[in-house]
Amino acid sequence: MFRYVTTGVAGAVVIVLLAMTLFLLARAWPAVRTAGLGFLTEREWFPDATPARFGIAALLWGTLMSSILALAVAVPVAIGSALYVTEYARPAVGRWIGYLVDVLAAVPSVVYGLWGLLFLVPRLVPVQRFLADHFGFIPLFRNPDGIYGKSVFAAAVVLALMVLPIIAAVSREVFRQVPQELREAALALGATRWEVVRTSVLPPSRSGVVGAIILGLGRALGETIAVALVLASTFDIHLRILEPGGNTIAANIATKFGEAGEVGRSALIASGLVLFAITLAATVAARGVIRRTAVVGRP
Amino acid sequence: MSATPSALRSGRMSAGQAAVAAGAGVVLTGVAFAVTPLQGRAGFVVLAYGAGVAAYLLAAARLESRRSVVDRLAAVLMVTTVGVCLLALGSVLLYTVARGVKAMDWYFFTHSMNGVGPRDDAGGAYHSIVGTLQQVFLAAFIAVPSGLLVAIYLTEYGRGRLASLVRTVIDVMVGIPSIVAGLFIYAFWVLGLGRGFSGFAAALALSILMLPIVVRSAEEMIKLVPAALREASYALGIPRWRTILRVVLPTASAGITTGVMLAVARVTGETAPLLLTAFGFDSIRNDPFSGPQSSLPLFVFSQASSAFTTAVDRAWAGALTLIAVVLLLTVAARLVTRRNRLV
Amino acid sequence: MRSGLAAVFVLAAVAVAGCGTDDNSARLNAGPRPSAPVAGANDRATLSGAGATFPATLVQEWIKHYGGLAPGVTINYQPIGSGAGIQQLTSKTVDFAGSDVPLKPSEVEATGGAGAVVQVPWTAGGVAVEYNLPGVANLRLTPQALAAIFAGRVTKWNDPAIKADNPNASLPGSGIQVVHRSDGSGTTQVFTDYLKAVAPDVWTFPSTKDWPAGTPGTGAKGSDGVTAAVKQSAGAIGYAEPSYPKQAGLAIATIRNQAGRFVAPGATAVSTALAAATVKADGSLALNFTTTSPEAYPISSASYLMFYRAASDAARDTALRHFAAWALTEGQALAEGLDYAPLPEPVQMAALAAVKL
Repeated sequence: MFRYVTTGVAGAVVIVLLAMTLFLLARAWPAVRTAGLGFLTEREWFPDATPARFGIAALLWGTLMSSILALAVAVPVAIGSALYVTEYARPAVGRWIGYLVDVLAAVPSVVYGLWGLLFLVPRLVPVQRFLADHFGFIPLFRNPDGIYGKSVFAAAVVLALMVLPIIAAVSREVFRQVPQELREAALALGATRWEVVRTSVLPPSRSGVVGAIILGLGRALGETIAVALVLASTFDIHLRILEPGGNTIAANIATKFGEAGEVGRSALIASGLVLFAITLAATVAARGVIRRTAVVGRP
Repeated sequence: MSATPSALRSGRMSAGQAAVAAGAGVVLTGVAFAVTPLQGRAGFVVLAYGAGVAAYLLAAARLESRRSVVDRLAAVLMVTTVGVCLLALGSVLLYTVARGVKAMDWYFFTHSMNGVGPRDDAGGAYHSIVGTLQQVFLAAFIAVPSGLLVAIYLTEYGRGRLASLVRTVIDVMVGIPSIVAGLFIYAFWVLGLGRGFSGFAAALALSILMLPIVVRSAEEMIKLVPAALREASYALGIPRWRTILRVVLPTASAGITTGVMLAVARVTGETAPLLLTAFGFDSIRNDPFSGPQSSLPLFVFSQASSAFTTAVDRAWAGALTLIAVVLLLTVAARLVTRRNRLV
Repeated sequence: MRSGLAAVFVLAAVAVAGCGTDDNSARLNAGPRPSAPVAGANDRATLSGAGATFPATLVQEWIKHYGGLAPGVTINYQPIGSGAGIQQLTSKTVDFAGSDVPLKPSEVEATGGAGAVVQVPWTAGGVAVEYNLPGVANLRLTPQALAAIFAGRVTKWNDPAIKADNPNASLPGSGIQVVHRSDGSGTTQVFTDYLKAVAPDVWTFPSTKDWPAGTPGTGAKGSDGVTAAVKQSAGAIGYAEPSYPKQAGLAIATIRNQAGRFVAPGATAVSTALAAATVKADGSLALNFTTTSPEAYPISSASYLMFYRAASDAARDTALRHFAAWALTEGQALAEGLDYAPLPEPVQMAALAAVKL
């Protein structure tokens, strides 16, 4: 009897989720049909205008730009701190640092948004000006108008803080799984601590760390509120990350759902499904990579 | 000494020498700031740190082998990354506390925003605290029992095609961005079934996010229960379902509780799905089943985007309340784990 | 353990339940109480509204005062934008909507045909041009210069088009950061309507609720979002109802009207401009942006209240109509102190007749 109850609930979860996905696909279809190929190439978002003109090109660009930049900032810091905790610090100190980094993961995203908007953005203005003045020859740091404020750069810094603890936590676990004998063998050969890390810890951990990074990417892609507060909502495609502007799929849903009409809702649902598909691909990839490393890591 | 090839140098830099070198770097920066147009507190800290580290490594390079200097460089870089993490955490927490306590008083916790304009120095978060409690409780009420049953199914009974399908669906659910979970319920429940905005709709969205966390952690914990315990129970002639309920679950209970509390902490701070389901409301609504309701994250979000300082102060106070609730849950979850004999 | 957790939550819920209140009157300075009770004094209902940010400050003030006059009535107004307000009204997720633009034919269709929704102007106000330019206190803009800035033709503060009317101001050579609404907004509609009416050769874009594509600048959500964005970066310019820049300490540009005078969006200037408008059959106003009255602030408009004529709930309908009638009469006196303008009398009378029970 109990067996059938648990089976029934498990089956119900599957059915409800599949039904909802089918329902969403059905709701998204009208917008995709209206826009046609333009759904992927159009930058603007006027689904309820006549004629309707909308597409996810700029949103997708902004989503990928901010997430990848966030990873560029977060990955070195996360891996460095994870290595410090597992390889350098005394166990008690390492445990405490681990706890504190985990606290970063517990801070709600709306708090990051508030802090980003009111604390970080004004303080990043001189940093952004410095980058544009001295490294403006790099296309990424060009800012011809000389105006600074809410930008993709600021969003990437906030996102970096949010994905950092995820990457750090998974990397810590991966490093801990490296067999102690490997380290001892290197030490016996007279290696310094860094040489132990370079020759014994990092090579077997590589795929695990890649998995951790993809997990972080998944979180960054789907983050909504913090990004919506720190980005300035434009629909452009360019590399200039210091220029005020930027937008993401998730932030666009949050800001546009209230005023969306029949086509608008359908278009937002379609964009949400695209986001879902991307994060799903990231999650599946991360699981695949992590599963492989688990075999390597465990003696 | 300086004639020896660096690879053969075997000396060790003493702690005193290291401190002197690093100190020299900092002093040098201070001098540079005094005589050149360089200025700014943040700039000084960054430059002084860089100069101190550079001087420390240069001194090491004079006294030690190249391998040892590289080792020191790696150590410095790692300590720096830890410093960056702690600085970020400290900045978020301390700034929130500093700004949050200003508008936080008894009035804030006992009044709603009913009839309060953005410029009025009045109002509080009571209505959103009520909303958050109800929504999170309802979400847990849905997600925890069903999550436990799914976990039991997967560990005890799950074989074959249905089990792998369930596993895949749970894996997929882990990756659902929270805004998409909100969109699900918005399209399906709020618009599709015409139920409108409500606290319950928010709870449904949150339960989608909670369920996979509960399933995952419960599954892990149930797997850790020693087979010997189970077999002893079977040997006494106790049927399988009673063994699960009376032996397996109690043994794993501490770990499962930790998982549930972490899931609760995670969804308490969620904002995006609530925007599309609970919508937000200015006065107290004690019935989560009809009409829009507020919640703490929504309260912070709506007050944050205002230009008026009174509203922004309320946003900080709300943020501090939210952080306090979430961190308390997280710390409590850790304390429960510590008592757990299984891990 | 699990039941323990649940118990903690229930206890917490019980602990907070009952010790909170909706009554904020202790910290709000309500106006003088009228001697006679209002018509809706004994109504009991909870009303939920949403829509334009333009009238939000005044509506909140009305709700505050009306709470003291009709204690059984709780009213909520979520300032989420005109477009969103009409959308929520169409979905019937709110009892009333606020919008700065009357319903379009397609929206009338979606709400159930002509006459299904009562729409009346309930307040008026100007759209202020707010800017953040340290050292420049009184910026004067011609309609052409304003249109050129928002169309992206003038991109530097020291452009001759701006310099000509501000000979004494120390205008910097830095770029102009245009901030516009990212959400559908009646404020945007009025602003672009105005630009199209007075500078059609410069403003070649459409006039819509959604800020048109192809222009420079960044978007921000809501009037408060625009104001916050302008306040955060020097060199920025945006548009919002006057109360927002005033509270945020931002400067407001004066705009040249048809009579050739530079005017600020004060209550009298707005009322003067609106006196040139005419009331149409569906309750909306036909605005006249080119009135030649020397006192008029040209970018002026009315904001509308909308609700279903055939309400689903009689108690809520009665309470809503009582509230609306009060706002259109005694409530108008509150407008001026908050940088809104009272409705001109003929407009007010027509609106009152439409909301009467």
